[in-house]
Amino acid sequence: MSAIWTLLLIALPLLGALLVAFDREEGAYQSAWRTMILTLIPAVFMLMNFDFSHASMFQGAASITWVEALGLKLSIGTDSIAVLLIALTALLGPIVVAASKTAITTNRRMYYSWLLVLQAAMVGVFAARDLLLFYICFEFTLLPMFILIRVFGSTNRVAASTKFFLYTFTGSMITLAGLFFVVTFVARETGLWTLDIGIITAIAPRMPVEHQALVLGAMLAGFAVKVPLFPVHTWLPLAHTEAPTAGSVILAGVLLKLGTYGILRFAIPVVPGAFVEYAPMIATLSVIGIIYAGLICWVQTDIKKLVAYSSVSHLGFCVLGLAAVNASGLSGSVLYMLSHGLSTGGLFLMIGFMYERYHTRDMNTVGGLASKMPVWSFFMVFFAMASVGLPGLNGFPSELLCLIAAFQADATWTAMGEPGAWGVTLGPWFAVFAGTGMVIAAMYLLYMVGKICFGPYREPKDHHAHPVLPADLNKREIWTLIPLALGCLVFGLKPVYLLDAIEQPVNATIAHVEAASGAAAPRIDDHPEHHMDHQSGDHAESTTHHDTITMGVTP
Amino acid sequence: MNHMIDLITPLQLAFPEAVGNATLAHYLFVSAAMFVMGLVGFMTRRNMIVMFLCTELMFQGAGLALIAFGRHHLGADGQTFVIFVLCVAAAEAAMALALVVLLFRHRETLSSQAWKELNG
Amino acid sequence: MITSLTSILEPVLSSTAMLAPDAHGHAAHTEIGSGPSWILLIVGLPLLASIISGLAAALGVKSKQPAWTTVIACFIAFLFTVSMYISYDGTPYTVKAFDWIQVHTDSHGSLIANFSFYIDTLSIYWMLFVTGLATLIALYASEYMSHDVGLGYCRFFAAFGLFVFSMACLVMGDNFLMLYLGWEGVGLCSYLLIGYFYKKPEAVAAAKKAFIVNRIGDLGLALGVYLTFVHFGTLEYAKLFSDPKLLSYVEYASVGNFSAIPATAQWIPLLLMVGAFGKSAQFPLYVWLPDAMEGPTPVSALIHAATMVTAGVYLIARTYPLFIASEHALPIVAWIGTITALLAATIGMAQFDIKRIMAYSTVSQLGYMFAGLGVLTPTGGVYHVLTHAFFKALLFLCCGAVMHGFAGQLDLRKLSGLRQVKGWGIVTIGMLVGCINLAGVPFTAGYFSKDTILAEAFVTPGYELLGWILIFTAGLTAYYTFRVFFRVFMGPVEYHPGDEAHDHDHDNDAHGEQHHHDAGQNGDHHSDHFHPHAPGWAINTVLATLTIASLAASGLYIVGGSSDKHTKHYAETMVMSSTAAFSSPYSEHAFHAAHDSHDDDAHAPDDHGSDHAAPAAGVGPRGTIEHAQTVPLFGGDPHKMMYYISGVVGVIGIALAWFLHLFGRTEAATCKMDPIARLFGPIPKWAEHKWYVDEIYWAVIVTPLRIFSHVLHWFDKLVIDGIVNLFGILPRVGAWIVRPSQSGVLQGYAVSMAGGVAILLLVVFVLIAQGGLS
Repeated sequence: MSAIWTLLLIALPLLGALLVAFDREEGAYQSAWRTMILTLIPAVFMLMNFDFSHASMFQGAASITWVEALGLKLSIGTDSIAVLLIALTALLGPIVVAASKTAITTNRRMYYSWLLVLQAAMVGVFAARDLLLFYICFEFTLLPMFILIRVFGSTNRVAASTKFFLYTFTGSMITLAGLFFVVTFVARETGLWTLDIGIITAIAPRMPVEHQALVLGAMLAGFAVKVPLFPVHTWLPLAHTEAPTAGSVILAGVLLKLGTYGILRFAIPVVPGAFVEYAPMIATLSVIGIIYAGLICWVQTDIKKLVAYSSVSHLGFCVLGLAAVNASGLSGSVLYMLSHGLSTGGLFLMIGFMYERYHTRDMNTVGGLASKMPVWSFFMVFFAMASVGLPGLNGFPSELLCLIAAFQADATWTAMGEPGAWGVTLGPWFAVFAGTGMVIAAMYLLYMVGKICFGPYREPKDHHAHPVLPADLNKREIWTLIPLALGCLVFGLKPVYLLDAIEQPVNATIAHVEAASGAAAPRIDDHPEHHMDHQSGDHAESTTHHDTITMGVTP
Repeated sequence: MNHMIDLITPLQLAFPEAVGNATLAHYLFVSAAMFVMGLVGFMTRRNMIVMFLCTELMFQGAGLALIAFGRHHLGADGQTFVIFVLCVAAAEAAMALALVVLLFRHRETLSSQAWKELNG
Repeated sequence: MITSLTSILEPVLSSTAMLAPDAHGHAAHTEIGSGPSWILLIVGLPLLASIISGLAAALGVKSKQPAWTTVIACFIAFLFTVSMYISYDGTPYTVKAFDWIQVHTDSHGSLIANFSFYIDTLSIYWMLFVTGLATLIALYASEYMSHDVGLGYCRFFAAFGLFVFSMACLVMGDNFLMLYLGWEGVGLCSYLLIGYFYKKPEAVAAAKKAFIVNRIGDLGLALGVYLTFVHFGTLEYAKLFSDPKLLSYVEYASVGNFSAIPATAQWIPLLLMVGAFGKSAQFPLYVWLPDAMEGPTPVSALIHAATMVTAGVYLIARTYPLFIASEHALPIVAWIGTITALLAATIGMAQFDIKRIMAYSTVSQLGYMFAGLGVLTPTGGVYHVLTHAFFKALLFLCCGAVMHGFAGQLDLRKLSGLRQVKGWGIVTIGMLVGCINLAGVPFTAGYFSKDTILAEAFVTPGYELLGWILIFTAGLTAYYTFRVFFRVFMGPVEYHPGDEAHDHDHDNDAHGEQHHHDAGQNGDHHSDHFHPHAPGWAINTVLATLTIASLAASGLYIVGGSSDKHTKHYAETMVMSSTAAFSSPYSEHAFHAAHDSHDDDAHAPDDHGSDHAAPAAGVGPRGTIEHAQTVPLFGGDPHKMMYYISGVVGVIGIALAWFLHLFGRTEAATCKMDPIARLFGPIPKWAEHKWYVDEIYWAVIVTPLRIFSHVLHWFDKLVIDGIVNLFGILPRVGAWIVRPSQSGVLQGYAVSMAGGVAILLLVVFVLIAQGGLS
């Protein structure tokens, strides 16, 4: 794969942003739309030219040296996980632009140019192969998002944007300090100043575990806030609620994944020892988040806040999968990163379309829309079901893998090294508690659908028909939803494509962690022939690997 | 360090002397004098243009010390820094004078006391 | 009909390249033959119909086209199912559509769940009545839903087709995830169809309740499935049921040595059964099913009586070896089933809404099926599924015809003597046939299938009490069933129209012309001159077919036994050659492969086929070794004695119903039961209010959880976000403290700066003077 596609994916939106910024106000939408569509082309080429048989290799590598002595350079390269996330980002681009056509009526140049800058920055994060570019892009996603919320948000936008910016920025500052710590360690070990992620990943695990723990803490300060993990999640509901529709979609679709992507790329490979040691704590936090945020969803009246809190709940599964550090967990987690944006992004689009017509998000004020907006209601139910995790739609495979991983997590941690000070593991109860998230998800999403789609029709007192938009969705709006809906179906029915694509990087990561944590995990041979040997033996005593998972009941 | 100050290097000898037997100490004295004049002026005057000029004076005092040390150590660093400083100072002068003009238009006076309400 | 079909399909069948594994079957346990790909059409056609109906909705079709598409698709699927049945040669095989979820790992075995289908007798058995009933009920619905032609009609049939597709995935899926896909899919369709009249808040609430209560069960199922994978390393039936580990567990269980089975394996069925309890509406998760009657009646008949709710029975039957291998699983299933049967029957006795009575009887009958599974007669449970599917669908469709004809009237106090109303003959006969089946009148299908369960409760040691409770419940069943029949169809003619709930609530394009169907017969529903409109040809045809099928189902008790498997009748043959047998059909061969040197395992596979003839190694309820002998019941073989006992109990129940509800009744609303009911004090009232179970759930679970959620919400707002805001406030406080130092006087800043520099310099000088910096 040539680096040109990745570079184009970063450069085209930036050029487009310039073009939009200096273009006429009226042409801003068209220019932004064309740029986004144009950006799809390199994305498609990138996917086509990517060699999936060497998926864990960072293909399309390129770098520009800046200050050689300090090891400062900008370099890119993508493995299959990055490629897929970039493709998702590119896919969401035209959708969010199209969804903003009637919603944004003032300051359009500013709006669309920042949207395009945001697009470039997000691609940059996924493509970066050195800390400098990663960090620049990681931080640079903040500014456009800040402006989108600050200028184009709804009533409480000032507080929301400030909290969003300061909260995530403070977190990532601490992350930066942690990364510098790693860089100095690597420099001491190798006598070479480098910010290259590959070298750092290879060398940094030699750090003593106490230092690793510090670095892990610093990394989580940035990444966990971004995810967001309980209890550092409070910026998200506010930011989501106040952001314009496009902002919410991008926030849910891509920006939150920067946190989990950061954990996958940095926290796990760079400080594997500490990660395994503290994994029970991370898993516990994510399980708490799943239940806690889910229950809070259930009592919301603001439909957008409900979906925002559901993101916190859903991303808990994603982090749970990461914390389990096994193949099903990491695959499930990556799958979650890819699929969560489709369903939750879809829900945010639906809410945006409704908001344009009714100017309220209060479920007590507006409801029973199925009779007025059948098409809208169809998509609403569809995305809600995708979000619930209905098999056949996108949420299910990832949730399944994360839960299976949670069952096995205990065994994985034990195999990779003793969970340390925080080793209060819940064993299979992780999966049981996380599983209740499935029930809670059904509770709040059906509560939402039941109020907003079904029941007798209700509308705000001073409701007027929209001057431009029809009562139900128009063609443009339907076409923004169709790619997401199709994505949900494809991800639900053929997750095997994605799972195959990410299999190598996932296994490479696990192999790396196993190698780094000293003792490679004892292989468990699960072939039936193996057990045939055990047949004659007493099964109560032949404690196989699986049997370490007990649920506290002895037969 | 003291013995270094009196030492005149052969390279210095090769150039015609501007001031006879000027040593590093002379330069530093001038530089310190300029800086102190600037500082005292800044602290005592109320006129914004004069205050600005005083800051320039302090700048140049510091710059002179840099060049003197650079010359003394036979390096180009000091001069490089000063060129940077001059650039910045030029830009700053443009900005500052423009600001002063704007401020003057608001209050019809150049006194810095007129803007006392810009406190914390 | 079947024979003629055979002759039609013969060339098709012989021409399809069917992989016929050798007669001895399962040489290697992991290798399983793959079947012809036309089997995929059984799954695909209903989905296609659903998509076409969905497109019709998008295109605004205003005709009955979706109904015909669905009927035809279901019928062809049924024909394919029949041909699958005919061509089945006794060896399970799989048919793969495409890869679905695959994660290849080294450690826990690869997670492979493909979109493929596992065909054995159990899935064929289920699919036969699922597709058959789906065809009939789709035909029925084409007329029943005709007042809604347009968007609603398309929506109905889209969900209907999706339901049949999901049910097919559930039953035929070759792995647990396919089962789960179907499981949740039928749940979704159930949700959509219960909430069909979405403007009615009760319907929306009922739909939501159904989905959420089911979801609680699904959580159990999901965890059970995941645990299965974690423990056995596979999700595919073919691999799981031939896993030597599982087979050895079954063997341990058969001698009562449960301590040899790991706790994880014993937890699996306990989790799976929670799923079964949710889907099949067993205590304590049964509360959704009665409310689900808010949906259109064809939906109640197909989904909430005949097919979907039996998914739990299917699950347990399918995974029977897992249940056998757990000490407590089957006793719990038996007792939960019994409690549900009794509880629902008592509630059913006191209801007045005939559809609700049928709903509670469904819950009660499902309880019987679970009890049957629990007392080690999967045959009985599964046979009862089939007979119940026919007669309960028939009963619901008759209720639906009444509801359709009498403008939504379902209160048995407001309907009487329909037998004598013109045009209601077929409905009356259908209702009578359904009722005698449900009441267990001798020589009906319901009688035989129920007896199988009842008798087995006395054969399997430790379940006598359970058996007596079930017999008592059978009496109650007969009573409440015929209470409906005697009051609604017999006695003096009297009827009051309902409030037309389903019409008025759902006039989507309310211009009146969609009433063309019945406009001629009843002009004004609310006038005093109400004329019920009798069912049309589609409804009558379906009712007649089902009536015949319900009667004919008793024949299955007599025919279809297999001398191979020592079975007596059709259902038993079907069950005993599937994984629902006491140990999986693979066990025989796999055991021999695994234990060439062991002789003592010989008894296990030999016995599994003949639990009636010699139920030698049953699993006792307390995990003891139970070499079941024929326990005498009134001095005879329980199976024989049960014919008399249950027959007598049934007749007593009917007689009571006749005396209390028909004898001497002169008007619809009052009968002899009323004064008797008063004698019981508040108890009938409690029963009518379903023993306040809903209210108790609401008070004990929902409200506290809701309050807790509110508390969490405020906690999030005040404490967690408060701490965050505190970090925002701290710098402000600091700034407020140092603010006065910014005086606004430039010279002041300069002086303090210079002073600061001077102090710093002073410090440096002092340090130098003391030699501190050298």
